[in-house]
Amino acid sequence: MLEDIGFVEVRIGPPIDTFAGASGEKNARRFEVYGYSILARKPE
Amino acid sequence: MSEDSTGEIAVDAAALREEVKSKYREVATDPHGTYHFHTGRYLARRLGYDDEFVKSLPDVAVESFAGVASPFALRTLAPGERVVDVGSGAGFDSFVAAAQVGPGGKVVGVDMTEEMLAKSRSTAAALQLDHVEFREGIAENLPVADQWADVVISNGVVNLCANKRTIFSEILRVLRPGGHLQFADIANGKPVPEAAIQNIDLWTA
Repeated sequence: MLEDIGFVEVRIGPPIDTFAGASGEKNARRFEVYGYSILARKPE
Repeated sequence: MSEDSTGEIAVDAAALREEVKSKYREVATDPHGTYHFHTGRYLARRLGYDDEFVKSLPDVAVESFAGVASPFALRTLAPGERVVDVGSGAGFDSFVAAAQVGPGGKVVGVDMTEEMLAKSRSTAAALQLDHVEFREGIAENLPVADQWADVVISNGVVNLCANKRTIFSEILRVLRPGGHLQFADIANGKPVPEAAIQNIDLWTA
């Protein structure tokens, strides 16, 4: 979606197990939910 | 999430916004309550924020933090940059950004929850951060001029909005050419059933 909208140089960091140990962990595991850091740039 | 051909999710966007506002009102006023996500200093440490910097902040600046990763993991902000923090909450990421850009930069946090805005503004004043400002607004209609920002950051916000394409287009509007979007969010590897997507209560459960 980011590239469709016009961003370039999209980078995605490694998955972070954001919900581990929280009460949302069960649903996070069920749907393989992880946190990500994402970097993109608007073209010149 | 299930999206139509325009990248929008089939859910009542206004109702979802009210549900999110209600949940984060709780996080602002009862930061040590029980939520389905971690909060505060424990979460910041888990997500890899600079421990020494986090320790230097007062509890009020950190306790309502509810991000999902770090927007600063792939790029550190440069001194002097102008930053917009979309969904700034109680201000934690804005305060990190303020330290990175220094007094020659500027940070504008945008949030729709009155209790979060009150908390972030109060903390910024206590920390004497003159280059940080918090404005009321929503991600789909940012109260920021065209091409004002060098960088837009956000943390755990886009996944809570129905109109993702609208949000990214709005971010593109406020960024200067060559500017960066650096954000953190969640993504699911397995599809969520349509019935669950349309159940607003489950978005923040």
